[in-house]
Amino acid sequence: MNRKLIAIVPLLIFVFLCVFLYQGLFANPREIQTGRIGDTMPAFNLPDLMDNNSRWTEQQLKGDVYLLNVWGTWCPTCLVELSYLTKLREQGVKIIGLYYVQGYDADFDGPFDMNALRKEVNDMLARTGNPYQFNILDLHRTLSLDLGVSGAPETFLVDKQGTILLHHTGDINPRVWRAKFAPLMQELN
Amino acid sequence: MKTVLLLLSLIISVSAFAQQDRYQFDNKEQAVRFEELTKELRCPKCQNQNIADSDAVVAKDLRDKVLVLVKENKSKDEVIDYMIDRYGYFVHYDPPVTPATLVLWVLPVLIVILGFGFIVIRQRKASVKQRWSENDELLLNKLIAQNKHQERS
Repeated sequence: MNRKLIAIVPLLIFVFLCVFLYQGLFANPREIQTGRIGDTMPAFNLPDLMDNNSRWTEQQLKGDVYLLNVWGTWCPTCLVELSYLTKLREQGVKIIGLYYVQGYDADFDGPFDMNALRKEVNDMLARTGNPYQFNILDLHRTLSLDLGVSGAPETFLVDKQGTILLHHTGDINPRVWRAKFAPLMQELN
Repeated sequence: MKTVLLLLSLIISVSAFAQQDRYQFDNKEQAVRFEELTKELRCPKCQNQNIADSDAVVAKDLRDKVLVLVKENKSKDEVIDYMIDRYGYFVHYDPPVTPATLVLWVLPVLIVILGFGFIVIRQRKASVKQRWSENDELLLNKLIAQNKHQERS
């Protein structure tokens, strides 16, 4: 009896390994990078992407449930999700853009060409639809670093008190929306 | 000669390129801390590289931030906590002991204990089987004598 039991052990280990490794095949290694869930929006003071004269702070964003979508015209996956985000806006979801400037280095590139960037953004949004209430320009990626952003697109769901409830890495599509965002949005409204 | 010159100029230009990312520190101790930290912190974008190795934009941002914090004379733990606050435990190559990671620490120890236990038990069983008594000695002698007898006949 004891012998038979021991003979089964390798089989059990094998089955356990199979299950473990099989899960690994479909696990998303980027899911776990979330340091800011449950925290309030970090303090910032950044310019508007389109308007030189207005600036945004975390205090001004309070009072509404909103999505903060990190994006850039250089990012192909963002291009893909823009039209779906626009649909979400039409359904009444408030989306604020955090424009992630990639590859600009003040030491090498000289003064930043704001007009070229605005034109690029307008051209792109004219093609895909504009999901954003407004865009915050994060030229030196300081807010992005404070939020634990590693690239684009990434999206945060923030509630009325300014608490970060969700941090999604990758594009938002109908499947992601149904699985991750919709249940929380329903609770909040 | 021309080829040699060309090769030489190539080598020299490469080493010039490698110099571009040099950082300035106030003292040796800061430089050491910076180097240790950039090797211990993982790039959140290209996950199998530390931020010293990676060329991703976010890795450069993290390096620059580590530099600023080190120059403010923040301790190693303070810098690591700063990064964990933002990027999660994931960003540090040395995972802390939490209920979720406990298995990482316990399992190897458990396997070693089980393995040695198995060896010890087997050894004991084997030594029980090989116990030798006087009766066994007599029996053996008798068998040998019988055997010799058979061979002769």
